[in-house]
Amino acid sequence: MSTPTTAAHKDLAACHVCMKLAPSSLHDCPRCGAALHLRKNDSIQRTLALLITACLLYIPANLYPIMYTDQLGTTEASTILGGVILLINLGSVPVAVVIFIFSVMVPSGKLMAMFYLVWTVERHSPLDPRQRSIMYRVTEFIGKWSMVDVFVVSILVALVHLGGLLVIRPGIAALSFAGVVIITMLAAESFDSRLIWDNMEDSERDK
Amino acid sequence: MTSEQAEITQGRKLSGIWLIPLLALILGVIMVVQKWMTEGPEIEIAFSTAAGLEQGKTKIKFRNVDMGIVDKVRLNDALDGVIANVKLDRQALQLLREDTRFWVVTARVGVDNISGLDTLLSGAYIQLAPGEGKKGAREFVALEQPPQTPANAPGLRLQLTSDRASSINTGDMVLYNGYKVGRVESMTFKPSDRLVHYEIFIDAPYHELVNSSVRFWDISGVSLSADASGFKVATGSLDTILFGGVSFGIPKGATDGDPVAQNTEFELYHSFEDIQENPFQYGTYFVVSFNQSVKGLLPGAPVEFRGIRIGNVDRIMLKEGQAMQLKEGREGQGAPIPILIYVEPGRMELPDRESSIEFLRKSIKTGVNNGLRASLESGNLITGAQYISFDFYPTTKPAEMGTFLSYSTVPTIETGLAQITQSVNSILETVDALPLMETVSGANDAVATLNETLNSLKSVLENQSTQQLPGQLDKTLDDFREAVKGLTPDSESYQSLNSTLLSLNRTMSNLEILTRTLSEKPNAVLLPYQQTPDPEPEVNE
Repeated sequence: MSTPTTAAHKDLAACHVCMKLAPSSLHDCPRCGAALHLRKNDSIQRTLALLITACLLYIPANLYPIMYTDQLGTTEASTILGGVILLINLGSVPVAVVIFIFSVMVPSGKLMAMFYLVWTVERHSPLDPRQRSIMYRVTEFIGKWSMVDVFVVSILVALVHLGGLLVIRPGIAALSFAGVVIITMLAAESFDSRLIWDNMEDSERDK
Repeated sequence: MTSEQAEITQGRKLSGIWLIPLLALILGVIMVVQKWMTEGPEIEIAFSTAAGLEQGKTKIKFRNVDMGIVDKVRLNDALDGVIANVKLDRQALQLLREDTRFWVVTARVGVDNISGLDTLLSGAYIQLAPGEGKKGAREFVALEQPPQTPANAPGLRLQLTSDRASSINTGDMVLYNGYKVGRVESMTFKPSDRLVHYEIFIDAPYHELVNSSVRFWDISGVSLSADASGFKVATGSLDTILFGGVSFGIPKGATDGDPVAQNTEFELYHSFEDIQENPFQYGTYFVVSFNQSVKGLLPGAPVEFRGIRIGNVDRIMLKEGQAMQLKEGREGQGAPIPILIYVEPGRMELPDRESSIEFLRKSIKTGVNNGLRASLESGNLITGAQYISFDFYPTTKPAEMGTFLSYSTVPTIETGLAQITQSVNSILETVDALPLMETVSGANDAVATLNETLNSLKSVLENQSTQQLPGQLDKTLDDFREAVKGLTPDSESYQSLNSTLLSLNRTMSNLEILTRTLSEKPNAVLLPYQQTPDPEPEVNE
C-alpha cells in the first residue's frame, strides 16, 4: 500500500478559518489573515486541561441540587441522580432513562471518550484510527444534546414562578453542569482529529 | 533537526489553558472548605412516634429560620420510640444546650387559637427552643406537646398541685382579678403522690404579682351556694365557665411575701372559699397519743392552745398504732391511740412561712419542758365532739417529746372523764388525810362538858325556891291589879283628880287673859284698865 501524500509532507498548512492551503512557512493566512498552524496549537494540552476542568465541574454538578422547588413554604432540592431515582420510583421509567442518558451517561461518556483519544494520541497508539475517528465525531455531535438538562431547568425557572405558591430556582449544579457541557464541547473543539491519523502515517512511514 | 527540537520545546511549554482547570480546582476547594466550615453538629432527638417526620425533608427551625434537616429516622434499640438523626447548621451550635427543647409543629386547633396552619401544606417541622444550660449536648428528648409559651418568653413558670383534676386543661387562662396574666402549660397526674400537677406560666410583667403569700384557686365553671341570705352564684369570665381557669391573689389580711423562684410549687385550692377556710400555707404535723377514749374526735376537729385555734386533727392513726404495737410485742395491752394533728404557725399570728415552722417546733419543745401537754377536751356536751387542747400543767410529771414514725410526739395528760375520776380521787385522798379522829374526840369532850352543864342546870331547876317562883310572881301581879283598880272613873280619887284638873284649867284661862292684857298694855298693872271698843267700819257718804 503506497503511502498517501499529505499536505503536511509538502509543508502546506490549512488555515483554521478559511481552510485555504498555504505554505507553513507563512505565519498568516494569505487569504483571511488568520494565524497559520500545521496542526492546532497545543491541541493535546488544551484538550487535557479543559477535560480536567470539566471533570472538576462534574463533581458539584452531581452532588449539589440542580433545582430548588419552593412549594408553599417548603423548599425541595433535587439533584440530577435524585431526580432520576425519584422518576423511577414514580414509575416514569422512560423519562428517567432519557434523563439518565442525556444527563449522566452522555457527559461522563464524552469525558471518558475524550480522555481516551488524548491518551492514545499521546501514546502513539496503533489502535484502529478509523474507529477512534468515528468516536470523535460522535462525541462532537452529541455534545450539544447534553444541554437538555440545563434547558429544562432554565425553562422551568422562567415559566414556573407563581408567587408564593410554587417557585423553581436553579441550583448550583445547573451552572456547573452547563460548565461541564460547554467545556467538554470546547475540549472536543480544541482536539485536532488529524493527530489520530498523524500517528498512523508516522508509523506506516516508519515501516 | 533544529525545527524538530523547537517542536519538542513547544510541546513541553505549559499552555495558558491550564489556568482554567486551576481556577476550577480553586473554586472547588473553596466550596469544599466553605461547606466544611458551615458543617454543623449532628444530633439525635428521641420521639415517641415518627409522626410528621420525614427523612431528608423535615426541617429544624428556630424563629422560623431553617437550622437543619432530619437526616435519618429510625427505631430505637428498645423499639419503643423513634430516634431522628438531625444534621444542623453550624449556627445552631450556640443553641444546643442541655435543656434545649424540641417538638414537632403541626396544625393545632386550641381553645383560644389555631396554630401551625402553614404546616398543613408544607408538612410538619421540628421547632427548637434554646435553653440556658450547659453547651455541648448532642442527644435530646423531644416534647410530646409544644410548650404553651414561646421559647425564652419573660415571665415566671410555677408548679401547682391539686388533689382534684377539675376542668382545667392545657392552655387555660390564669387570671389575676379577672385579667388574663398567664396560662396553664401542662397538666399531668402523678400516681406516685396522687396529685394533679399543673405547670403554669405567668407573663412578664405580671409575674411580679406572685410572691410567697399568694394562693391559687380554681375558677372553673359555676359555683352555686345557698345559705340563710339566699342563693349565691359565683363564676369567673365566660371563658372560664366554658374552659376553666386558675385565679390567684393574696388572701385578706395576709402580707406580701417574698419573691418566688422559677418552678416554685403552690397548692391549687378548689375555690376561693376553700382558701378562706385554710388561710395558711405552712404547717407541720405532730402526733399526740391518748390512753383514753377518743370518741367524738373527728378529723378536722380543732386543736387549741388555751382556747385559740392553732390547727386541726388530721386523722387517727389507728393502723400505724397497731403496727407499732405488734412490732414492740405489746398487743392486747391497751396501747395509746396515736392522733395526727396539723398545726399552722400562721394561726398564732406568726408569719406564714417556712421559718415559722422551725420556730413553732422549738417553742413546743421548750414548752414541753415547762409542762406543755396536750389533752383531749370535750367541745360539745350534746354531740360529744372532742378537741385537742394544749396547755401548761406545771405540776405534771416531766416528759419529753418523742417520735412516732416520722412525726414528733407531744406528751399528753388525761382529761375529761378520766380527769374527773382523778379529781374525785384526789378529793378523797385529801379527806382521808384530814385529822378526823382528833376532831371527833374533841367533839366528844365538848359533848361531855355540855352534858355536865345541863345536869347542873337541871339541879338548879329542881330546887324548891326555884319551883316557888311562879306563885310569888302571881301574887305580885294581883297586888298590882288591886292598885290600878283604885283609879277607875267610879272611884273617889278619880273624881277628885278630875275636879282638880278642871279648876286648874279655869285658872289657866284666866291667866291667859291676864297675859294678853299685859302684852297689849304693860302698864295695866299700875293704871286702870280701859276697855277699847272694837273698831267698826265707817260708811263713806
